[in-house]
Amino acid sequence: MRFGMELKKLRRTGYFPAFPAGAAAASAFPILNMAVRTEVYTGLPGNPLDILLDASWQMMAMLNILLIVCCTCMMYHTEYAENGIQKMEVLPVRQISLFLRKFLITTAMAALVIMIEFAALAFCILMWFPDAGIDLKEFLCHWSFEVILLLPTIMVSLIIASACRNMWISLGIGVILVFTFSVLPKDYLFLDLCPYCSPYQLLTAAEENGHAALFLGVCIGETALAGMAEHIYLKIRRYFS
Amino acid sequence: MNIIETKNLTKAYGDFTAVSSLNLHIRKGSVYGFLGPNGAGKSTTMKMFLGLTRPTDGAFHINKKRFPQNRVEILKEIGSFIEAPAFYGNLTGAENLELIRKILGLQEDSVDDALELTGLQEFKNRLAKRYSLGMKQRLGLAGALIGRPPILFLDEPTNGLDPVGIHEIRTLIKSLPKKYECTVLVSSHLLPEIELMADDIGILNHGHLLFEGSLDDLKFHAHDMGMPDDNLEETFLAMIDADNQKRRDRR
Ligand SMILES: Nc1ncnc2c1ncn2[C@@H]1O[C@H](COP(=O)(O)OP(=O)(O)OP(=O)(O)O)[C@@H](O)[C@H]1O
Ligand SMILES: [Mg+2]
Repeated sequence: MRFGMELKKLRRTGYFPAFPAGAAAASAFPILNMAVRTEVYTGLPGNPLDILLDASWQMMAMLNILLIVCCTCMMYHTEYAENGIQKMEVLPVRQISLFLRKFLITTAMAALVIMIEFAALAFCILMWFPDAGIDLKEFLCHWSFEVILLLPTIMVSLIIASACRNMWISLGIGVILVFTFSVLPKDYLFLDLCPYCSPYQLLTAAEENGHAALFLGVCIGETALAGMAEHIYLKIRRYFS
Repeated sequence: MNIIETKNLTKAYGDFTAVSSLNLHIRKGSVYGFLGPNGAGKSTTMKMFLGLTRPTDGAFHINKKRFPQNRVEILKEIGSFIEAPAFYGNLTGAENLELIRKILGLQEDSVDDALELTGLQEFKNRLAKRYSLGMKQRLGLAGALIGRPPILFLDEPTNGLDPVGIHEIRTLIKSLPKKYECTVLVSSHLLPEIELMADDIGILNHGHLLFEGSLDDLKFHAHDMGMPDDNLEETFLAMIDADNQKRRDRR
């Protein structure tokens, strides 16, 4: 698949600067938290990475989800603003392949964002837990777990964005979903498995409950299912337009 | 030989029928003028030809190919401009055309060729959203003409163009069939323009085809019916008026 084209379409839209900006905002949170309440956390027993994630990940994950919602809306706004998408629809390309390229680009950017955030956590460990040291393998496991748990959210956000000509509607739906899912009770497993909810989960807790594999499997399954649903939607939409 | 033929092509939105049992015959290498008042169904028909919307009933083929089986093959051969220019405002004119060129797999000089044809060369590095109305229109046309496709669908191509632009586009459209056997389906409300460039015309009203044939056929037909036949505009107005009268009487 060629990505150059989809990447080029996003020039001058603010899409690419948005990710580092979002990553910076989310990364600032654990650092500030540690700086302000150093004693609370350095006194806790256990693995420093777990302590940091327990303290900050809820906030960071929510910022990540909001970032995804905004950026997917931006992506389709460039398509709909001057109707560029109609030009794409009358050219010999498959609509689903354009959609999947958008998905992969957003996933790559999200993976980068999470990587920056974990770098910030590593910085916190070096700064405030000097005896602990950094276990690269542990970081990689946590990072890939969070990236995979974000996939359904990226997919569903893109589907919503692709369905709404008006960016404000898709943005509104996205924000409502983010806040609805963030206030739902936390003691039902099936709720934790939903898009917009799964990114709050942590690898350590999932492993303790023996749910790590379940989370990964369900999230990949959801992503694939939603992708197929989009494929069907793109086809039947022509009957109604 | 007909490159495009439709058979009872119909498009309904709920209980409203936008295009009703249309039987069009578009000859290869001709300029076909598609006429009709606002809401007659011209754009809807072209959208069906491009697969943007699916027919409710009936069928059509383009160069012996059909939707949705041959979608990609059909779209490779068609340059189109539907209703309003469609482009990316955050890209420059040249970048927009470059995008289309890549998808169509055309040679690199085709972008400059399209810019030249539509007189946009001078403004190619300006962001498309900063274009004037007429420049956007020209960009849309450039996107249709790029690579000189064998079939062109142009829906009101001269909207918003200055008189020089209208003249240039008309001359261009007229010259295409001779240059490389291009078939052009063009809709316009500027009837004198159509009269100057079309070989055949089809007249649509409320989704029904009232007439199809050459301009001479239309003159004979109008004469037979006792309608004015001096120019296309008068004949068209009389024909639409008669059809509307018939509709009113039926109700
Ligand atoms: N998505 C839609 N839903 C419902 N009705 C529609 C839709 N699209 C078009 N129509 C209706 O179909 C009819 C034909 O529209 P169309 O755009 O084909 O007209 P047209 O001949 O191109 O007119 P114009 O000269 O104004 O461009 C109109 O009455 C229009 O309101
Ligand atoms: Mg129209």
